Amino acid sequence: MLLLRSLVIQGSWNYSTMQGAGLGFALIPVLRLLYGGGRGAELDEAVGRHSRFFNANPYLSTVAIASIARMESEGADAEQIERFKGALVSPLGSLGDRLVWARWRPLCSLLALAVFVLGASWWVASGLFIVLYNLVAVPLRVWGLRLGWKEGRDVGRALMGSPLRRLPDRLTIPIAIIGGALLPPLALAVGGASGVGPTPVIGVALALTVVGYWRPAFAGRLAALGLVLGSLVFAALEKTVW
Amino acid sequence: MLWLALLGGVTGIDTVSCVQSMISRPIVAGPLAGALLGDPVSGMYAGVLLELVSLNQLPIGANRGWDTGPATVAASAVVALQASPGPVTWIVAGGFGVLVGWVGGWTVHVMRQGTARMVSDERRGSITPRALSVRHLSALTIDFFRAAGLTLLALFCGSFVLASAEAEPAAAGSAAAVVLLAFVGLTLGADVRMIAKGRRVAIAFAAGLVVSMMIALWRG
Repeated sequence: MLLLRSLVIQGSWNYSTMQGAGLGFALIPVLRLLYGGGRGAELDEAVGRHSRFFNANPYLSTVAIASIARMESEGADAEQIERFKGALVSPLGSLGDRLVWARWRPLCSLLALAVFVLGASWWVASGLFIVLYNLVAVPLRVWGLRLGWKEGRDVGRALMGSPLRRLPDRLTIPIAIIGGALLPPLALAVGGASGVGPTPVIGVALALTVVGYWRPAFAGRLAALGLVLGSLVFAALEKTVW
Repeated sequence: MLWLALLGGVTGIDTVSCVQSMISRPIVAGPLAGALLGDPVSGMYAGVLLELVSLNQLPIGANRGWDTGPATVAASAVVALQASPGPVTWIVAGGFGVLVGWVGGWTVHVMRQGTARMVSDERRGSITPRALSVRHLSALTIDFFRAAGLTLLALFCGSFVLASAEAEPAAAGSAAAVVLLAFVGLTLGADVRMIAKGRRVAIAFAAGLVVSMMIALWRG
């Protein structure tokens, strides 16, 4: 039940309490068990307490859900749990964001793109991305739930010693290699229609990749804006010239 | 149209609100939208283009990126409904997708402000489980309808985009291919740099690039 509810922890994500209401929602079954079955002022107070500010990486929020449930079941006082929640925000956010958003998801995307550009069919590439990504994302949620329940208030120490902390750094080199290797086939695939040979196509792509790598924020914005402006120009020319 | 709007809604909530299985990523949402229109491959091409734009967009903290799900569904529809899509269509659809994504990001921002008013009451000391559940799940439902509505609106606008990118002369195709090439080069370099930094990363990136380039040139 906690795992299922953790899937929608960001259902009411907002700028004020962030995942707060989601955390309260996820903890409702536990709080109902602990505070007199279904209703009562004590239960309402506990639900209110847990729906104040909270934020973490969504996949690792299960660590917080389970450890708070454990502390509640052990009868820890409200102030202690509030301090504990506050202390979890930063490590769970940092570890999860670095691992999942900044490394694992881009790695899966680049792999799927490479597979498609090298000739695999669309369903192989898309399927590879979804399966590969969720091979980590789903077990991560389950692992977090188990770890949180097992360690309770000591979960911070367990996270510090976790092998997950070193994993993001180990994924950077594969991301860079696949990213580099993806460029020539991708350039040939899109540049083939320009009518020029493979050497100038790869040369142009290479030069612009260096610019992109050198000034990433500028290049990212320029590329997105270029695509939008390009689409407007081509759409207009289509109407008037061609 | 309704199936596409439904897909837009599902991918919209998958981005942040619900499950986050990443069917909202362009590389998945694109072919799914294409498949609904009978052409998953064209949807995949739109997805690849938009995946490159959104690869370095990290949903960390309150960071507000563009809404990839509805944007990809709309862009894929533009490509998949073309009789013979080429580089001009890719650019028009890609640009249209980015625009829809920007509008989607703004709607997410407005929705989050509304959600804050709905679920957070600073003076509140307690709340019944039922009241919290209703507010929480209502916010989730609003997000679904926001994304589905946005997709529907984008598909309506997309029908005009579609009309403007119908026939593709060879000259236009060559120019569009060069623009796409520039786009691919810029985004891929920026993506890798924004995801991972450092000397070792630069060396690994260059190594991957050189080896792949030699293979590509050798194969002609």
